[in-house]
Amino acid sequence: MRIEEHPILDFNRGKPITFTFDGQTVTSYENETVAVALHSAGIRILSRSQKQRPRGLYCAIGNCASCMMVVDGEANVKTCITLVQEGMEVKTQIGKGILA
Amino acid sequence: MIYTDLLVVGAGPAGLSAAAAAGTQGLDVLVLERSHQPGGQLVKQTHMFFGSKEQYAAYRGFEIADFLLDMIKMPNVKLQLNATALAAYDDGIWTAQVGEKYIKVKPRAVVVAAGANERNILFPGNDLPGVYGAGAVQTLMNQYGVRPAKRVVMLGAGNIGLIVSYQLLQAGVEVAAVVEASPNIGGYLVHASKLRRMGVPILTSHTVKRADGNETLESVTTWAIDEKWQGIPSTEVIWSADTLCIAVGLSPLCELLWQAGCKMVFVPELGGYVPYRDGNMATSIEGIYAAGDAAGVEEASVAMVGGKLAGLSAARYLGVDIPDESILDCHKQLEALRSGPAGAKIRAGLGKLTH
Amino acid sequence: MLEKTGVPTPEQVDSIFPTEERLSQGPIAIIECFQPIPCDPCATSCPQGAIAPFMDINDLPIINNKKCNGCGICIMKCPGLAIIVLDMTYSETQALIRLPYEFSPLPQIGEIVLALDRSGAKVAEAEVIRVTKGKPPIISIAVDKALVKTLRNIRPQPSEAAILCRCSDLNTDDIREFIAQGHTTVDAIKRLSRLGMGPCQGRTCTPLIIRELATVLSKPVESFQPGTYRPVVKSIKLGELAEYTE
Repeated sequence: MRIEEHPILDFNRGKPITFTFDGQTVTSYENETVAVALHSAGIRILSRSQKQRPRGLYCAIGNCASCMMVVDGEANVKTCITLVQEGMEVKTQIGKGILA
Repeated sequence: MIYTDLLVVGAGPAGLSAAAAAGTQGLDVLVLERSHQPGGQLVKQTHMFFGSKEQYAAYRGFEIADFLLDMIKMPNVKLQLNATALAAYDDGIWTAQVGEKYIKVKPRAVVVAAGANERNILFPGNDLPGVYGAGAVQTLMNQYGVRPAKRVVMLGAGNIGLIVSYQLLQAGVEVAAVVEASPNIGGYLVHASKLRRMGVPILTSHTVKRADGNETLESVTTWAIDEKWQGIPSTEVIWSADTLCIAVGLSPLCELLWQAGCKMVFVPELGGYVPYRDGNMATSIEGIYAAGDAAGVEEASVAMVGGKLAGLSAARYLGVDIPDESILDCHKQLEALRSGPAGAKIRAGLGKLTH
Repeated sequence: MLEKTGVPTPEQVDSIFPTEERLSQGPIAIIECFQPIPCDPCATSCPQGAIAPFMDINDLPIINNKKCNGCGICIMKCPGLAIIVLDMTYSETQALIRLPYEFSPLPQIGEIVLALDRSGAKVAEAEVIRVTKGKPPIISIAVDKALVKTLRNIRPQPSEAAILCRCSDLNTDDIREFIAQGHTTVDAIKRLSRLGMGPCQGRTCTPLIIRELATVLSKPVESFQPGTYRPVVKSIKLGELAEYTE
């Protein structure tokens, strides 16, 4: 789902990076945020609300907190403003984040 | 504690312009930007800007961000990325989170140019994954080159709704329809015509009734609305779509100004609660200035001029001799940008603000 | 074309429907079992002996219309959820259908639900008359007599509530309840519900709650102020605060 050809923009993607989402390997590029990388892999459900409703990316700039996930064991990480790192472990957050 | 002449919150068009203006006067300026990339919303604007030469007309947003960044390249201006302003306290201390560090700043003056927040509206299913703010879709496709959707319904035919719809087409995404609650298209009509030429319908006096899908968005139900903005039964149309973009306007990000005790005024034409300010962007609290969307939602061109004006006003407040012509030049540019029929709403809003 | 679609044809439904005369005499079970499979709980469970004992485990059930009194025991015993009880004597214009329903949440008595046909399509709305909790639960709905051959399932009405506060998962129904209780400022509702106190600190919900208050109370929007913006406006880790040194 990445855009390869664009009439106005050129995308110079950095070096490839792999991380895991709920155990599954996702390929991304450096300077991409976690939410963007998941989105390009077709993953749109990032968390479950307190009443178990599915939640995805909404504002993409760190305002709304709809994209919070568990990253490397830490809950409540806003994945729309968190850059991917090699080997990062990203998990779906269920309800309120708990201290690891 | 960090001491500085001027603290600027936000490195978008307004904040960078304010920093450049004050920095050129030799003041020490600290700019806090929460993103890892400066430029604010300019970095995802791929369309050519309107306005005139002073506001970089005919350049594209992401190019303008680079111009502004060049203008703050001076030793007395420090741009701090990954830095979110957290609070404004009574004793004039401002706090921020820089990376994972908590810092305190004691500035002699502040320009708040924090931007705005995308507004949402209420309909069943409004939190389904696949329902996005229009800006989020823009971020995905223009900043990161990720195709956000296969088929989109756009709610809102203001400039953001129209521009993002067009950019979606450019990214190879189908736009099923643009839906607008007002009886008329709110954005520039040249943007609307670009969409219609590509075969995209624009339905005015229509809104979203509900969004449905199992786990993620699958369909959007729209319906016509009457003069009282109530839905008209049996006018429903169900669009199959994996994405619904909400472009129903922006709310100024004013939390810090509320905290600082600035007088706030409700002006719907400017996006809701905005700080009271005089013609030179000074709020009701001495030494605190507001610019850009945080001072009232307008175009980026206005944000740049308003930011410059706020920077100059802050410099003058700090004792720098600023010639009247520089201030008047900003006034003149603002007046020109807000003139004409397209600026009528903004002019009405500003009228409410000053008294 | 039950074999291809999973939906019995109208002819198949006709073939198992009791006579008009029998229907006019009171409730009766209707068994939509068209394929011989090795299964006999309906026959063994009927207290009236109204379902003839099977000679072969693959037999299709045959109801003795005279013996069946519509008690509905077989509804709960049928592993295929193939049995309903129909009572055409419920009222002048409406019939009562008792059907098994294995989904949460169960409807409430008096609730208006969507009444669906055998392909799951919405045909009408129906009132829930009785809810018998069991395994499976059995729901009684009152429906137009003309539709008794068509209706075979229910579904709750789709929710009309919209999410107002994403962080604390509060919808318009939740908020209207607080307003109905007399809480009419953003701060009051914030303290009670945690609206605006989640990780977004009110950025998404503040304009929405102000508008909702204005709409429900028919007051101008500007008569409501946002909740108090306390430091900090964005979430920060306690450790980051603790590590601060001058």
